[in-house]
Amino acid sequence: MSTQPHDEHGIELPQPTSAPMFTAFGFTLMAAGLVTNWVVAAVGFITMMCGIVIWFRNSNPDSREMPAPATDRHPTPVVPKEGGVDHLLSDAGHRARIPMEIHPYSAGIIGGILGGAVMSGFAVVWGLISHGSLWYTVNLLAGAMLSGYADMTTEALCAFRTEGLIVGILIQVVMSIGVGLLYGVTLPLIPRMRLFFSAILVPLMWSGLTWASISIVNPALGDHIEWIWFIASQVVYGVVTGWWIIRSEKIGTMQNWHYLERIGVETPGAREMGADE
Amino acid sequence: MTTAPAMLAPPEAVPQDRMSNGKIGVTCMIISEIAFFGTIIAAYLFYIGRDINGPYPQDVLEVSVAPLKVLFNSIFLLISSVWIWLAIRSMRAGRMGAFIFWWALTVICGAVFLVGTGFEWYGMIVDDGVWMGTNLFGTCFYTLVGFHAFHVTMGLIVLTLILVLALLGHVSPRNIEKVDLVSWYWHFVDGIWIVVFFVVYVFGNQPIQ
Amino acid sequence: MSVLQKPAGPPAATGPVPFLSRMHEWVTTVDHKKLGTMYVTCGIVYLIIAGLEATMMRWQLAWPGQEVLSPEEFNRLFTMHGTTMVFFVGMPILLGAANVLIPLMIGARDLAFPRLNAFGFWLFFFGSLLLYFSYFGGQGLYGMGSAPDVGWFAYAPLTERTFSRGHSTDYWILGIFVAGIGSTATGINFIATILGMRCKGMTLMKMPLLAWIMLIDSVLIVVALPPLAAGQIMLLFDRLLGAHFFDAQAGGSALLWQNIFWFFGHPEVYILILPGFAFVTEIIPVFSRKVIFGYPLMVAATVAIGFISVGVWAHHMFAVGLSPMLNAIFMGSTMLVGVPTGIKMFNWVATMIGGKIRFETPMLYSTGFLCQFLLGGLTGIFLATVPFDWQVSDSYFVVGHFHYVLFGGLVFAIFAAVYYWFPKVTGRLLNERLGKWQFWLLLIGFNLTFGPMHVSGMLGMPRRIYTYHLDRGWEFWNLLSSIGVIIQLVGFSLFAWNVLHSLFKGRIAGDDPWDAWTLEWSTTSPPPAHNFDEDPVVHSRRPLWDLKHPDDPDWKYE
Repeated sequence: MSTQPHDEHGIELPQPTSAPMFTAFGFTLMAAGLVTNWVVAAVGFITMMCGIVIWFRNSNPDSREMPAPATDRHPTPVVPKEGGVDHLLSDAGHRARIPMEIHPYSAGIIGGILGGAVMSGFAVVWGLISHGSLWYTVNLLAGAMLSGYADMTTEALCAFRTEGLIVGILIQVVMSIGVGLLYGVTLPLIPRMRLFFSAILVPLMWSGLTWASISIVNPALGDHIEWIWFIASQVVYGVVTGWWIIRSEKIGTMQNWHYLERIGVETPGAREMGADE
Repeated sequence: MTTAPAMLAPPEAVPQDRMSNGKIGVTCMIISEIAFFGTIIAAYLFYIGRDINGPYPQDVLEVSVAPLKVLFNSIFLLISSVWIWLAIRSMRAGRMGAFIFWWALTVICGAVFLVGTGFEWYGMIVDDGVWMGTNLFGTCFYTLVGFHAFHVTMGLIVLTLILVLALLGHVSPRNIEKVDLVSWYWHFVDGIWIVVFFVVYVFGNQPIQ
Repeated sequence: MSVLQKPAGPPAATGPVPFLSRMHEWVTTVDHKKLGTMYVTCGIVYLIIAGLEATMMRWQLAWPGQEVLSPEEFNRLFTMHGTTMVFFVGMPILLGAANVLIPLMIGARDLAFPRLNAFGFWLFFFGSLLLYFSYFGGQGLYGMGSAPDVGWFAYAPLTERTFSRGHSTDYWILGIFVAGIGSTATGINFIATILGMRCKGMTLMKMPLLAWIMLIDSVLIVVALPPLAAGQIMLLFDRLLGAHFFDAQAGGSALLWQNIFWFFGHPEVYILILPGFAFVTEIIPVFSRKVIFGYPLMVAATVAIGFISVGVWAHHMFAVGLSPMLNAIFMGSTMLVGVPTGIKMFNWVATMIGGKIRFETPMLYSTGFLCQFLLGGLTGIFLATVPFDWQVSDSYFVVGHFHYVLFGGLVFAIFAAVYYWFPKVTGRLLNERLGKWQFWLLLIGFNLTFGPMHVSGMLGMPRRIYTYHLDRGWEFWNLLSSIGVIIQLVGFSLFAWNVLHSLFKGRIAGDDPWDAWTLEWSTTSPPPAHNFDEDPVVHSRRPLWDLKHPDDPDWKYE
């Protein structure tokens, strides 16, 4: 920033004037006249016309100006700061967008699929142990989308159902991949104890949310759920997915790439060319 | 960046070409007026054919004759846009005599339009007995056409004021910006009339099937 | 910087100025800073009035079967509370703040049309008086009416002559019509100022984001307020001249009024909240000591909000029985607003991440804004879903939702702005300790008042009822809401005391108390009548950063 002196005839400001107030007051009185008495409106009209005349004379042929009032107060000049700028990261400058490095999205997706697979296996084992049925857990999960399932007996839920299998797998796959992606994006932002975050904290919070809303979202599951097993299966997912993502190699974001690289130009030497500018 | 010297000279700031404040202001005012008229026109279109009792527009606006009368009337308003454009052109060229001539012609044409509207209203109110409270057609017609006539009147007052000032010799080519902006407003009033004309006398006046 | 050149002019008057000539100076002023101050002052006075109206309503509702207010008085109170808060609190405070800030931020001497600006203020001022005059003059036929009692959106046919005798509804129409003309004029003024009066070097993409957001806001004002004026004139014709626009008995349509009103009404809530966005967008970077994250995206999101907001109005009308197709379209467009708004939320948070955050009062309020606006936005997404809306339409859930947006969002942003720019306008800082007390009291009081409303709404409590029976299970939640109001009252009183005290005894601020980066901090506090001794020339979005850090200036990166 710098400044330039104004032109030689000094600073001019528009003169104070009562015209706007009179015009506005007259206009309001005219409006008020509609609901009170025509005399009010007439007075309003006269006031408004007076205001308009003053206004017109004030701004024609040229706006009436006055020199700016003198003042002794002047701004203190802005001085450069001592000692330079604190940088967000030691080598990236203060304009760095953090995180500088992220886990690749693929790690989130693959981690999610892995976690989802292990979790399903775990949950199906629970179904086998508790009710001796391979399909029990799947049907319960499918109850989130299939409305009839809330009223079924336990025996009916233990039986094999095609639509239950399809919907259950669909929910499991979509949720696993979605949560895996979210993990992949958020984990780099957690400063420490990432595995704790992914394997304990989030599963517990998720379970709490489920506990509060299950009777609305999935009544079938709500009636038959065993919370210890539910939380345990969430933890299994968290451990597997978190582990997979954390062990994946981080990659830098595009923010430090050169423009030509970002738009995908692969000419050798392009970057060096750009750097000269 | 690694070799940045302590002080760097910023690039020279380039002055920009900008529209004048007055032009931006009047453009915005016209946009707000369009929003205003747009609402009333939308209400008019919404109520076409919804009347539950007559007289219907087809009875009052006389399908074949009246639109021609109004068209004749409208031509005065529309052509005044040309006159005001010529007036501004003369003023730009510094020919104040020509400016006054064209400007006066604009005022006359605008006044003729208003008188025509007055006759139309007189006929409708006295002969046909249609007023605001008669039915939906009356409500919408007088509101829409009335607001347009109100804007024409406002414009005419300002135009006449400038004409008087010009005759007294208070208007010179250095006032071109303000006078030009008044002409913008006049063009807007004309333009909106084309829309009103089609809505009221064409779409709203289809013969009953 | 070159040597300062003293502006020529009459010597400054010495000694105290008599009261009358001081008043005369305020009444005739065309100075944007004085007009802005008057706007904000009036807005805060009306905030107190409307707040007291709300307090009386909460007192009435605190327990079932209370008889503090009669049903008629209750109707007037909620009408006046809503109308005042939208038109005479939100609008003047945002127009006033923009009045003070826009010229200072873009390095201009004043607005483009200073007299028009004064005209806009006085129209607002007298228009609001006209509305409140209805308490005395609204008495009409049969001794009915007093203040308007038709709700702030004045649905037809309640407003027709048959149902609203007397002149109370006319006062509602006229007061807001007059003030609306003033707001439109000021909106036009802002557009001309921002487009035409930026200082040398300030291209559109080097403008402070506040100016950008106010530009879009002004466009919305210019496009959305005239339809309301048109609708109000139609209603006035119905009432005074016997026209039939909204008179269902003669074929008129009550639905048309809803369409017109909400075509204005929905952009209006964006007109109100966008300045809130603008304030926190300026405050968060300064107190995080980082440059705003994603400036171009911020601009794009603002423009997108502006465009989308004129195409969502029918989501207020899901329950009136539009076609399923229309409902689906408006549900989609409403959900779409979430995208640019979400972009803004993420940008604010990303600005804070990794910053050296100073939690001074303006920053506290901005953080409060982020959290509460997020909650209000989320319940907004719920309400945009047609089936959900059918369940809770016109219930206290809706009341809770829009208070989270407008109170938890806008009012918190306004307080952030007041604490941030008060030193610039008056030259003195507000008291930090009182400010923090006020923040926590308001935060607790606000959430205690409006959080339970979501519950009572889900339990089926309709809005605008003046009392209820004990057996509905609403009494606990209503009691909580009313207790919250008491805590808020304490907070607001602290604020009033803080302002009055700091105005005379506050710490002297200096030119740049927050170590900020935009142009308004380069001049004195309060700024002189001519704003800048010399015309500024800028090279980047943060001109003062460039001066403070010549070794690492911004213009190298933009």
